[in-house]
Amino acid sequence: MNKKRSIIFSLVRGTAAILIALAVAALLIFVSSDGAGAGEKLAQTADAMRQLLIGPAFKSSGGISVKNLSDVLAAMIPIVFTGLATCVMFSANQFNLGAEGGIMLGAFVASMVAIYAPLPPVVLPIAAILAGALAVGAMMLIPAVLKAKLGVSEMVNSLMLNYVVLYFIKYLLNSHLADKSKGQIMSYPFQAHAAIPQLIDNGSKLSWGFVVALIFVVLVYLFMYRTRWGYSIRMIGINQDFAMYSGMKVAAVVILSQVLGGLLAGMGGGIEVLGRYTTFNWNTLPGYGWTGITVAILAGNNPAFVPLAAFFMAYLNKGCNLMSTYCGVPSQLIDILQAVIFVFFAAEQFLSGYRQKLVVKSTQEELKRAAQEAQEKGEVK
Amino acid sequence: MAEEYVVQMKGITKVYPNGIAANQGVDLNIRRGEIHALMGENGAGKSTLMKMLFGLEQPTEGEIWVNGEKVNLSSPTVAISKGIGMVHQHFMLVPSLTVAENMVLGMVPKKSGLFIDKKKAVELTEEYSKRFNLHVDPTAKVMDIPVGMKQKVEILKALVRGAKILILDEPTAVLTTQETSELFRELVNLKKDGYTIIFISHKLNEIMEITDRMTILRGGRSMGVHNTSDVTPEVISRLMVGRDVVLKVEKDRAKPTDEVLRVRDLEYVNEWGKKMLDKVSFSVRKGEILGIAGVEGNGQKELVDMLFHLNTPNSGTVTVNGENIIGLSQRDIRKKGVSLVPEDRMLYGIAGAASIQENIISDRCGEKRLNKGLLFDMKAIHEETDRLIQDYTVLCKSRDQRVDNLSGGNIQKVVVAREFSNDPCLIIADQPTRGIDVGATEFIRKKLVELSRSGIAVLLVSADLNEVMELSDSLIVMYGGKIAAYFEETDDLTDSVMGEYMLGLNHQTPDEIRRVCHE
Repeated sequence: MNKKRSIIFSLVRGTAAILIALAVAALLIFVSSDGAGAGEKLAQTADAMRQLLIGPAFKSSGGISVKNLSDVLAAMIPIVFTGLATCVMFSANQFNLGAEGGIMLGAFVASMVAIYAPLPPVVLPIAAILAGALAVGAMMLIPAVLKAKLGVSEMVNSLMLNYVVLYFIKYLLNSHLADKSKGQIMSYPFQAHAAIPQLIDNGSKLSWGFVVALIFVVLVYLFMYRTRWGYSIRMIGINQDFAMYSGMKVAAVVILSQVLGGLLAGMGGGIEVLGRYTTFNWNTLPGYGWTGITVAILAGNNPAFVPLAAFFMAYLNKGCNLMSTYCGVPSQLIDILQAVIFVFFAAEQFLSGYRQKLVVKSTQEELKRAAQEAQEKGEVK
Repeated sequence: MAEEYVVQMKGITKVYPNGIAANQGVDLNIRRGEIHALMGENGAGKSTLMKMLFGLEQPTEGEIWVNGEKVNLSSPTVAISKGIGMVHQHFMLVPSLTVAENMVLGMVPKKSGLFIDKKKAVELTEEYSKRFNLHVDPTAKVMDIPVGMKQKVEILKALVRGAKILILDEPTAVLTTQETSELFRELVNLKKDGYTIIFISHKLNEIMEITDRMTILRGGRSMGVHNTSDVTPEVISRLMVGRDVVLKVEKDRAKPTDEVLRVRDLEYVNEWGKKMLDKVSFSVRKGEILGIAGVEGNGQKELVDMLFHLNTPNSGTVTVNGENIIGLSQRDIRKKGVSLVPEDRMLYGIAGAASIQENIISDRCGEKRLNKGLLFDMKAIHEETDRLIQDYTVLCKSRDQRVDNLSGGNIQKVVVAREFSNDPCLIIADQPTRGIDVGATEFIRKKLVELSRSGIAVLLVSADLNEVMELSDSLIVMYGGKIAAYFEETDDLTDSVMGEYMLGLNHQTPDEIRRVCHE
């Protein structure tokens, strides 16, 4: 199939998946709406859908809503990092689900450095973020080495590890590190100069972390497609036996991919807390890691598409929040929406009949062209 | 008269999801009770056509008629119910079950509705075995029986299921000369009993010997139907490849010098306790091609696995240029200058979903000349890939094309381009031309001779008797994990002499065999 047709197919398929998900959402809103008659329900549904679809970008009076848009961009920061982390690990065919615990541990370690380390401005936030990244890199050694040396499933290990991390941090925070003067459980405040400066000061928390995230998209892309290590990761993901036979150090690369994923997730955690908060107060897993998996799958494990996928997820999230604030639609609906979109994206056979038609058309055109060329050549002879 | 044909495939076109048009408007008419050859190079579309007749694939366009009735063969179950049976090239048998158990898979006779009636299975097997004169041992485990018998089991399996039309996909690829002639006798008997046989092959002499008519495919199109008695092998080969193929490879006499590969007393017992390698010793010298012939399953695969650390021997030594390679990683074995063209190219040879370029650089991605600091030197990589694509005449749209979109022959050219171009001192070529088209075969064979004459040691393992005899300077035959014979020269060897050694009917004295150590 030629390039143009396969792009058209991807677009049609993506749009169809989203439209179906929206239709399901509209149906659910309609059913759960508390309007009196069908007419009222319909109006409420239309209003809710408007909030969901255009609320994150436009004001109700028309015109672009800078605040809402910067909220969306700010929300992209952590999921770009977890998305990248998951891309790297999934590319090596390592189904490590530890980005969730990773971003939490990274945030926690960075917070501790931001609170206690006697470091000067500029150095402090950088040191905090790096410390968070390294801690998670080290954490990922557990599933990675167990997989490489003993063949233990990294999926199970990393999944369990998320909860080990969560409860370990809760324990430390509750019993040793909490600021007892506060009414709820949180750490002491960060040193003021640990904060990452904001890009726009409108309360959206769109920090310079956003720029760092985009830089890392480029770096990770270059790493995966322009270096021998990224290349090895991808080849191992496609065919491990081939990689071994070709002389790649399979075990080392399996470990490398997961440690790298850990570094990225940890960095995302550090950037998120230092850009958004002044204390550490996470009491549950933040969910960015799970979203990161969705992002990586939507992006087809290609780092270049991670920002797009992350924007899409953040936009959707914001829309649902607006919907629940202004229209009384339960924000849990977003989970249903995500799930439906996800199912249609992940379903390989979705619209495969249409794809087959495009393929047949392309191939027949190609054959005709080849036959024509052959004929022309014959005439020249 | 329409009923004359038991199978009619009309205007069949098949386009795979990856865009490959495997068949274009193919017509195939099979008469009742004939042996009909389906011929063509690899990638010509023979297997695809048969898969559609057996319900494994659905045609994109076209109709299939069986016994004068238009059918929709949506699955093999439907095909079987229409009396079509297929014997695949790679046997579809469960190795750990007995012959009788394999025979009744999916249609197991029951005792009191719950238990498998093994006795009945054995009786059934014996009954069919006798009726069709296909001798098998119903109680033997499939993994213990020779290849020839496995094939009989496959044929019987199809017959038990009521097949009247048998599709045989390259049935002789794994058989010895003697086993082949036995198979042919059996097929002729089946034909006399009114069975129809579709015989896929690209071995000309076999086709001439056994078939009544033939359909020749080339590039997914039919080149017409011919009576076997009306055409000569030359005509067939011209129709198949569009030119006259000369499969003789010209080579001058080898002038072997220093020993490169030295294998001594290699022993290996597999996981079921079967001794697969028994004190195997030989040497390969610079500038020569040493061939290893033998029926598959006599230790050749295990031997190659040991040489490239895809498995570990129980005892024995292997050195390359005097240095031990047992226990080294593939990376270190490659650093010693060893290249391997693997038997299973889809498993080891390529990463299917990666591009041609990514497959070419897999063994050299860390080399300085392809890197600029931390990053790849994309220009150098493009140049290297394009050069190899050109040198090895890989037919492709671009270096970024997915390698599993290429035909078998071109995939193998990619593997060979990589393995031959990394400056090796020893090339191990395991079944280097199995299942690929004549053009690519010829190319790879010529290349092997050329490389050996430039001073590289070549170990050629092949089940294709023609290939080993044609290419090798000297030759060993493996039987039952041992070297059964060593021939210093291959010029005067005949098929039947080789066949005797390959089947274990004859073997040389230890002294004769030890000459291959060149001590």
